[in-house]
Amino acid sequence: MKMKKMVALLMVVAMVLALIVACTPNNDAPVETPAEETPAEEDPQPEPEDEPAVEAPVANGEITLVNNKIEIHSALTAFAQVFYEETGIFVDVQSFGGETPYAPALSAMFASGLEPEIFVFEGIAGYEDARGAGRVYDLSGQPWLNDTDLAYISPTDGTPVGFPVNIEGWGLGYNVRILEEAGIDPTTLTNVNAIREALETIEAQKDELGLDAVVSMTAGAGMEWVTGLHGVNAYLSLGLAYDDTSVIDALLAGEVDEERLLAFAEYYNMIFQFSDQDVLLTGGYDDQLALFALENAAFIHQGNWVDPTFAELGVNFEMGYIPHAFLEEDTEGIFVGAPSWYMVNARAENIDAALAFLDFMASSPEGHQYMAIDSGQVPAFRSVELTPEGPLSIAVMDWSARGMIYAWHQNEMPSGFGMGTLGPIFEEMARGNITPEEFTRMVAEAVATIP
Amino acid sequence: MGNIRGKHTPIFFLFLLPSMFAFTIIIIIPLIMGVYYSFTDWNAVPGTPINWVGLDNYIAMFSDVTFLHSFIVTIVFSAISIVLINFLAFMFALLVTAKLKLANLYRAGFFLPNLIGGIVLGYIWFFIFNNAIPALGSAAGSDFFSQSFLGNRYTSLFAMIIVTTWQMAGYIMMIYVAAIQSVPVSLLEAAQIDGAKYYQRLKHILMPLIAPAFTITLFLTLVNTFRMFDVNFALTAGGPSGIFMGQALRTTELLALNIFNTAHTFNDQAQGQARAIIFFILLLIISLVQVYFNKRKEIEA
Repeated sequence: MKMKKMVALLMVVAMVLALIVACTPNNDAPVETPAEETPAEEDPQPEPEDEPAVEAPVANGEITLVNNKIEIHSALTAFAQVFYEETGIFVDVQSFGGETPYAPALSAMFASGLEPEIFVFEGIAGYEDARGAGRVYDLSGQPWLNDTDLAYISPTDGTPVGFPVNIEGWGLGYNVRILEEAGIDPTTLTNVNAIREALETIEAQKDELGLDAVVSMTAGAGMEWVTGLHGVNAYLSLGLAYDDTSVIDALLAGEVDEERLLAFAEYYNMIFQFSDQDVLLTGGYDDQLALFALENAAFIHQGNWVDPTFAELGVNFEMGYIPHAFLEEDTEGIFVGAPSWYMVNARAENIDAALAFLDFMASSPEGHQYMAIDSGQVPAFRSVELTPEGPLSIAVMDWSARGMIYAWHQNEMPSGFGMGTLGPIFEEMARGNITPEEFTRMVAEAVATIP
Repeated sequence: MGNIRGKHTPIFFLFLLPSMFAFTIIIIIPLIMGVYYSFTDWNAVPGTPINWVGLDNYIAMFSDVTFLHSFIVTIVFSAISIVLINFLAFMFALLVTAKLKLANLYRAGFFLPNLIGGIVLGYIWFFIFNNAIPALGSAAGSDFFSQSFLGNRYTSLFAMIIVTTWQMAGYIMMIYVAAIQSVPVSLLEAAQIDGAKYYQRLKHILMPLIAPAFTITLFLTLVNTFRMFDVNFALTAGGPSGIFMGQALRTTELLALNIFNTAHTFNDQAQGQARAIIFFILLLIISLVQVYFNKRKEIEA
């Protein structure tokens, strides 16, 4: 009996001890583990760069770059290897994405005392977090600044603090062949009347052209980002100078320009009317892309990020962009911006090496090769002469090279306002439940609640 | 006996300690933190100061039309689902406990949908409602079935009820089956010999004897339909849009999805937390009331 009690007691003590030990924070972990090991374990991709690190004792230092796009990991690692051969600086590329979300992984690195030299941020929220922690490094005077318009400029003191990773853009994508066959010159489609006429012309020839619908557009549940963010940006920036923030500023103050908003509403109402109604109201992203990819629609409301999907689908016809010109007067330009930037971490050790790496990427032929071809993105630098392979990326680059671009302001709206609040209003108009006038009134009411 | 228990009490508590410890860490502490956060402007970013805002979040919640709408839709959804799931599950249970040839096959078949995760189920049925049914419908020349169920606010809600019922009925059936099998056959046979018809045997013998099963199944269906998230998220994502009290909103956004969207789409973590607290209290009250009334039925039986 006594023996039994003792055993029981021992077991309980062991259990409790095990729990306590398991739950105690392991204070010496960050010291014992080499800097790159903790996040590398979470990295779904194998880390091919372990080899050079062992081979060559770091002559000119080592930097860590934290990347948020898993799909460019191998291209970026290969480019880092080129840089290593050139300069002897080893760049440890750590990519997060997919199943290991980037933002939590980055916070985990910071929390465990790691300070990567370069990391990605995606706008004001990421910038504010970095600023609060004293990680923002002033990039003024960097040579590549003269070669781009899209460096991230600090909203607090106006200094450049972000290296644009790439650019993306959208207008109203079109199928070159179909427009030719319908006898429409896309270069003339720069105001709402010309676009309406073109849509009507194609609608009338739908059967001869083998189309299901004129436009491939979605406005249903789950696709609010197309209407509530990208769509709304036309209202926020079309026809304005790249640094003109008057409309978004007014919106954030709770005011709308009613005349402009009504013109915008009528334009989208028109787009909805010429769209495939099934795809518009209940379709998903795949349905929207498929309709255009199979040449069953002449236009598509999507950005150049659809290129890889089109490549997978074996799409090989020519495409271009026309502006979302919802105004009566001509507005020539599509919406182009940088979705993310590299920040140099002011709290990291090897800042000079990090600056050298970014400069190498922006100015060397190898860097241009990496940005435009290997990573399949559109570079944000004017001096890049290589053309990416995706048809819509080419179109974005073309508009961008001619300087005919309007800004992105959609991400400056309060979180969720575009998708959560405006999205359903767009959908109601797409369903024909409300008129453009009612749309304008409802948007104005919603905007009034912002401040 | 009492003596032994007294002597062993400290050891019993020691055995309880590990699970109490885990329960505290995983349930109790987050709950307390959640209640605290719901009174602040917490935004989940480490390092930003947390300010006390009193009842602001709760006031904002009840003046938000989308939350009120979700409340109503959730009640409608739950009420119809509970009735439908329990009715079908009970019918299935009667079917598979009757001496049928393929009873075991039916039993497995009815239970199978429950093994598929809600998200996957949502995507499968998304395809069925959006492509398969309209294709069959237009082939059969039916106007009603040639349109997607997900395109209309009423059929869309009903589509969710169908999927939820399809998923849960098999599981609830198993509980009824177990209960029915525990009823002594002699009682039913005695009633039969006394001349009771099938319906009378069902109503006066079988159903009172399996009353405890109803307590469990009603509780499970109530809680599960009220908390419905995965099918909602994957099947309708809250759509289609509609107008309620002059505001355009997602017409099939149930409470759990509304809380999720508040916290993650609108990035208003504290507000989402406050909604979750109200949701929790509501669910607690409804469950307690339901179990109380069902228990009374059991005693009478």
